[in-house]
Amino acid sequence: MSPWRGVRFGLILLAVAAFYAFCIAFAEIDLSRLWRGLPRLGAWAARAWPPDFSDFPALLTRAAETIAMATLGATVGALIAAPLCLLAARNTAPVSFLQLPARWLLDALRGIDSFVFALLFVAAVGLGPFAGVLGIALHSAGSIAKLWSESIESVERGPIEAAMMSGAGRLRIIVHALLPDVLPSLSSSMLYIWEFNLRASTVLGLVGAGGIGQELKSSIDLLDFPRVLAILLIIMAMVTAVDQLSALIRRRIA
Amino acid sequence: MSSDQSLRINDLCKSYGGAPVLDRFSLRVAPGEFVALLGPSGAGKTTLLRCVAGLIAPDSGEIMLGRQPMHLLTGAALRRARHDIGFVFQQFNLVRRRTALGNVLTGRLSDVALWRIVLGRFPDADRRAAFSALERVGLLDQAWQRADSLSGGQQQRVAIARALVQRSRLMLADEPVASLDPAAAESVLSLLREVAREHEMSVLCSLHQPALAERYADRICAIAAARGPLTIA
Repeated sequence: MSPWRGVRFGLILLAVAAFYAFCIAFAEIDLSRLWRGLPRLGAWAARAWPPDFSDFPALLTRAAETIAMATLGATVGALIAAPLCLLAARNTAPVSFLQLPARWLLDALRGIDSFVFALLFVAAVGLGPFAGVLGIALHSAGSIAKLWSESIESVERGPIEAAMMSGAGRLRIIVHALLPDVLPSLSSSMLYIWEFNLRASTVLGLVGAGGIGQELKSSIDLLDFPRVLAILLIIMAMVTAVDQLSALIRRRIA
Repeated sequence: MSSDQSLRINDLCKSYGGAPVLDRFSLRVAPGEFVALLGPSGAGKTTLLRCVAGLIAPDSGEIMLGRQPMHLLTGAALRRARHDIGFVFQQFNLVRRRTALGNVLTGRLSDVALWRIVLGRFPDADRRAAFSALERVGLLDQAWQRADSLSGGQQQRVAIARALVQRSRLMLADEPVASLDPAAAESVLSLLREVAREHEMSVLCSLHQPALAERYADRICAIAAARGPLTIA
């Protein structure tokens, strides 16, 4: 190893260390506060056992609400994403001057979290899961369109050119010659977003957008820890079940 | 057919990044004639065929298919003109996840209502045409097989059937047998020649093996690399 490479390595190490020091300072990391808080956390954990499932039917209804929100959110998101991804993908964009604005739009949708959208919709359409669905739908639209346009851009050009020789227009070619080959990866992306939405939508209750998060928030506010534990267990079971189901379907269509 | 249906290429030029690929290339293909384009790779065979198909635009020169000036057409007019041209590619270019039948029906795409394409419900007349084209290329029993489960030779036959249902007047073939074993190559070329004769279709087919060109073509057009800094052998 030449001495210069040693010096360069040292400088990189120094820069990374400086960056971490900056992050630790700005995040107000203070281990002594954690140390002082530990007994309180421990007491809560001790009080949480056994979990309180006395409200089980009501909690299940809320869990179902969360699943419904995630599913409808992903579906409406996909409906918005379908035209958007065709505008944004290099090989399907009908007019190139719309391609960049379409990408900006989907990056904006993707960049703003469902949580933030839900906050706005709660203010606009009132409390409840409907606001949650709208919030999830907008964020999902951006994520799905991004994943879909990447799948579409990676498709082979050959079959499309062959279909072009039939003299057919763009939409017919997309439906007949492009869609069949990308459908598995499009469905897989959509399932992935569905899973992701379920995890994300458990917290939407915090802003009053319905679902099991709402129960979680009210139980924490009341310091009802056995109920909090019951809700967390239900969330874990629900998320695991949906992850497994989605993974199973994705393996089958791959 | 009248001589009006012939393909005439005059003084075609095309260069990429200053390097000429085609330099004042001229060729005439009579109706029903099978012309082999013979030349080494890099000689511009693919570029020429893609110019004729309107997939790339030449720098100058003209391409007349019958009365259609292919080099001037754009948009909807180009799409209509393409309907008269079948294209057989070296890599077959079938939609992998569609059946052989579905791929042949691609040739009818331009005349079918969009909702029928979405639902996969092509009109009976088109399906009959597709079945008879598959029968003609000897693959009727494979109609429901997915394209990616067929052998290379079978895939190229499906591609020929795809051009047949289109009832094109001109068939362009870009190294159609370069990816096939010798036996499959012979059978694909003889099929191409037979269907061309049956339908009085002109064929412009690029090949790099002189023996095949001599055996199947009515006429051979040698195409050499254009002058210029060509470094690839």
